[in-house]
Formats: sequence, structure tokens, C-alpha cells
Amino acid sequence: MNIARFQTEFDKMMNRDYFSEKVHPMRQEAFIKFLKVGIPTKKWEDWRHTNLSSISKESFRLSDGQDAPKSDIDISQYNINDLETVVIYNGHYLEALSSIPAGVQLLSGLEYLEKKDSGFNSPEHSPFDLLNTAFMDSGMSIVVDQNVIVEKPIRMLFISSGLESLMVTPRVHIDLGESSSLTFIEQHVGESTSFFQNESVFITLGQNAQLNHIRIQSNSVTTANIVNIQVEQNADSQYTFFQFADGSQLGRLNIRAELKGEGANCAINGLALSNNSQHLDNHIITDHQVPNCTSSQNFKTVLQDHSSGVFNGRTIVRKDAQKTDSTQSNKNLLLSKSALMNSNPQLEIYADDVKCAHGSTTGALDTDALFYLRSRGLNILSAKALLVRGFATELLDKIKHDGIRDFITERFDIWLTENSTK
Amino acid sequence: MLEIKNLHASIDGKEILKGINLSLNSGEMHAIMGRNGSGKSTLSNIITGREGYIISQGDILFKGNSILDWSPEKRALTGIFMSFQYPVVIPGVNNTYFLKAALNAKRKNAGEKPLDAAGFLKLIKEKLKEVDMDPKYLQRAVNEGFSGGEKKRNEILQMLTLEPSLAILDETDSGLDIDALKIVAEGVNKYRNSERSFLVITHYQRLLKYIEPDFVHVLIDGKIVKSGGKELALELEEKGYSWLES
Repeated sequence: MNIARFQTEFDKMMNRDYFSEKVHPMRQEAFIKFLKVGIPTKKWEDWRHTNLSSISKESFRLSDGQDAPKSDIDISQYNINDLETVVIYNGHYLEALSSIPAGVQLLSGLEYLEKKDSGFNSPEHSPFDLLNTAFMDSGMSIVVDQNVIVEKPIRMLFISSGLESLMVTPRVHIDLGESSSLTFIEQHVGESTSFFQNESVFITLGQNAQLNHIRIQSNSVTTANIVNIQVEQNADSQYTFFQFADGSQLGRLNIRAELKGEGANCAINGLALSNNSQHLDNHIITDHQVPNCTSSQNFKTVLQDHSSGVFNGRTIVRKDAQKTDSTQSNKNLLLSKSALMNSNPQLEIYADDVKCAHGSTTGALDTDALFYLRSRGLNILSAKALLVRGFATELLDKIKHDGIRDFITERFDIWLTENSTK
Repeated sequence: MLEIKNLHASIDGKEILKGINLSLNSGEMHAIMGRNGSGKSTLSNIITGREGYIISQGDILFKGNSILDWSPEKRALTGIFMSFQYPVVIPGVNNTYFLKAALNAKRKNAGEKPLDAAGFLKLIKEKLKEVDMDPKYLQRAVNEGFSGGEKKRNEILQMLTLEPSLAILDETDSGLDIDALKIVAEGVNKYRNSERSFLVITHYQRLLKYIEPDFVHVLIDGKIVKSGGKELALELEEKGYSWLES
């Protein structure tokens, strides 16, 4: 998408009368900055393995009224047991299909921004942060007051649909008050043929708050999904993230978790499955700013055909962050000789009394294990499937909610059936 | 049961087996003894179908059929089993799940109905007792965190569960303390009957004190240089292998 085209869409955005003018200066400033830097190219260090041509070549237009569902849509096919759902369809919030548990405030992203007096988060770590601020037009915000334990998980179901090239820019805020707790699920689905979603999620965890964040990226394999997650953790808070990705042509997950209060814990996990020409990319930064925090990054990718993937994990331990305990692990399984994985776990340590471990392995299925299983009578396909399943089990077991784990495990098994016969 | 005829095999261009002839009848237990590098493990790998070896001459017949072109799973389903010298650790694969899948593959092949979870549990609990294993092993990943002895007992557990007609015990005594060795030997001895054959591959005669072979063969440099009864094992214990080397 060339820059002039972004300008046309931006002008349309600024002319929409239902948007608060309060955010206009913020949009404008971000857009001007975006125009200066443009879409990253492979010459950028953080983007050198990420081919963004599907975004830079296509002409996307903003989703508008005509892209809302024409009639009632059936979401039963996306059913996950035992949760509350908020439905967002091509960027449009569908209130009739949505439900929210008591004790939780649901605001549109813009309502949330208006409510906040000042200092709302507008990071500029990448051009996609800027692009999100410039175009933010959907997504919802969840505010949980202090001491509220939300029992039922809340799911945001993002459906992308249609034959036109749409750009959707969700902005999600999750604010957990002191000692509150929530399980938040983002599920990205849909069969749209050309779709560019640039999503930003801002998470603030009060003291002793707990957020379990699960992201399921299963939208069609022709779409581009960029997600920018920014987490701020206060003392003794706990953030657990798990992404399961089997969809999208280009998937790029950026997470920056800042541990700002002592005793905070952050566990970031991901399982990616790719085939054909998919590219799934994970860039994770865990930033220890204060003492006595713990963190882990644990990512696995299974790659089939000529798909590719990236794990770029950074753990930063600042000078004051003594007694940090952190681990980083990245393991990748190549099911095809043409698949390509780039793994780059990095530690940046400025404190001297810390415990940090990291490791990375990439390889094909273990031939000794395969022979062992076959020598017990399992045919080669079952044996391979069992090994891939075993590879993923460690991560799948980390999903605490039964309904979600069952759902993801089922999707995993379907992928396995379709991809282990190659 | 098993007939090996003039078997020549090489790996990476190096000839390891140089004309092996061996015939095992139903109910017989044969031991193959030899030093490291004599070709013992190559022989057991080739019988079970591990890839990577080139068979330049000879044949292996199992129950009258040439098996050289058979996949490892076909050999297993037809009744060949090997207790591995180094059982493989398979993270994330639950021992129960694996054993049940293997048993049901075998039942399916034999035209029997698969066992359900309850039926399998009942069966496996009996087998566990025979090798003195705690049921908690079933909940672990295959061989993960198992001691050397536990791994070998797990191999025998698999043998008792899958009920092969030919069991190859590849260096089953290595890594076993005397108590574990006795338990393993007892499991094997109980499993012996007139329908089942064993090929015991070993370096030392230690195991053969507890599992008495009918025949002992000495393998040196890819050839069987001497065959005899169980007393041959004792002779080897006393004299070593060098008197048989040319």
C-alpha cells in the first residue's frame, strides 16, 4: 500500500463525524510520524526476516458501514464452552451477539481514550504502533475494578469476512484494578480473502492483579495480521500469555512486557503451526525494570512445506533489577526440508545478581524416536503425528481453562491430520 | 521362526556383517555374544528394520517370509519385538497413550476389537506387577525421567503387553543393578513358552545366569565364529574372546 493511498484513507477517517475530536490531534501526530518512516523494509534490523510486501503492495480501504454483516451471522461454529463473547465483525461491534459478565465495564476503544484524562499510551516502537494510533477504529476496552475476580473468561471474537481488501485497526485496552483477575481471549477467525489487521492491545495490571491472556490466530491464510501488545505490570501482578497461531499468511506478534513493580511475574508462550507459504513471526521483549521479578518466554513452531517463522526474544534486565529470574526457550520442528526458521533468543543484562537462562533448538523429527514408535507397531503417519503432538503437549498443558485447551487441542489435531500426510 | 541366511550388511560404506547364518526355532532362546563393535547391535537393528543399512547379500526370513522389504511397523505387527539397548525418551508422549496405541494397532492388525481405556487399564495393571513397576510410570512421558533400570523394565513391560513371538533383547542387562536384573529376567522367564523365541544380545554372561539360553553364538568381526550350548557362555567368561580370534 503506497503512502498516497494511506493518505486517502486517513482523510476519510478524519472526516468521520462520529469520532471524537479529542483524539484527532493524536491521530494526526501519529500519522505524520508514520509518513516519515513508512512501512519497514528488510533493511530494518527488527524486520529483516519479515516480508511485508503483502501489506505494501495491496491497496486496502478502511472498513465502513457496507462491510458490516448484511444479516444475522451464525457464530456457533466458533463455539468455545463456558465463556462470554464480544463480537467484532470487520471492525464493527455487534452488540446483539455480545454479552459481558457483571463487574466488568466494556467501553469502545475511543470511549476509553476519552475517559482517560491524559497520558494515554501511545507508543512508537514501530511504524505499526503509529499506524494503529492514526487509524484506530474498533476493538473494545475492558476495565475491571479492584478486587473483582471475573470467573468467566471474556472472549473478543474478531471475524474478518468478504472479498474486498479491508484494513481494520482494533485498539484494545485491558485495565485490571488492584487484586482483580480476568481471563481474556482474542479469537481471530474468518474467511476474508484480503485483509490487513493492525491490532494494538494495551494492558495495565494493578498491584497483585492477574491476567490470563489467550490469543487464537486462526483467520484465513491469505490475511496479514500485525499485533502490538504492550503490558505494564505493577507489583506482584501476574501476566500469562498464550498464542496459538495456525492462520494468516503473514502473522507478526510484537509483545513488550514491562515489569515495573517488584514481585511481578510474566509468562509469555506461543505455539505456531505453519504450512505452504505462511510466515509467522514472534518478537517478544520482556523488560525487567525493578528487582525480584520472574519471567519466561516459551515458544514453539511446527513448520510444514516452505513456510517460515521467526522467534526473536529479548529479555532485558536493567541495572536495578537485581534477583531477576528469567528463562527463554524456543524450540522448532521442521517437517519439511524447505521450511525456514530464524531463532534469536537474546539476553541483555545490566544487573549482576540475576538468574537468566536461554536456549533454542531447531530440527527435524527425531529419527530414533520415530523408529522406536514404529518398532512397536505404529505406522509411520501415526508415529509422526504422535511425536509432533508430544512436541506441543508441554505448551498445550499450560492452558489452564479446560474449554479453551480442548478447543485449541482439537484445532491442533485437525492441523496435524491435514499436515502430517505430506 | 527366524532364519538368517548369509547376511552381509554395511553402513556408510563399511561392511559390518560379513555372512551371518542363524536359525531360531519356536520356543528357543539364543544368545549372541561378542565384544563392542562386533556387529551385535547392527544385527538386531536390521532384524527390526531400522533404516540406513545396505544389505548386499543374504536374506532374513520370519515365519517363512522374507522381511527385508518390510517396514519396522509391519515387522512389529507380525510379531518381532526388540528391547532397545538405549530406550528413547519421547517428551510429551504419555506412556499409557503410547502403549495403548501400540497394543490397539496390533489388535487391529489381528482383526480384534481395540481395547477401551478401562480394558487397557486392567490389562496394564497386571503387566506392571510382573515387572514390579509403579502405576505412576504410566502417567509420565515415555522414558522421561526414568532411571536406566526403569527404562529397561519399561521395555519388558512393552514386551509383555504386545506379546511378540520373537523378542530380541539388545544389551538388556546394561545399566541394570542386580535387583533390576533379576526382575527383568523373571519377566522374561515367565514369558518363555514353546511358541515364543528369544534372541539375547549381550556382552557379558551376567544376564545368562538368570536367563538360560539353549544356544550361544559368538560374533566376531561380523561373523559367527563359534556356536554351542549354554556352557559356551561360561567358557567365554573365563577365557575372554581372544582365543576365538584368528
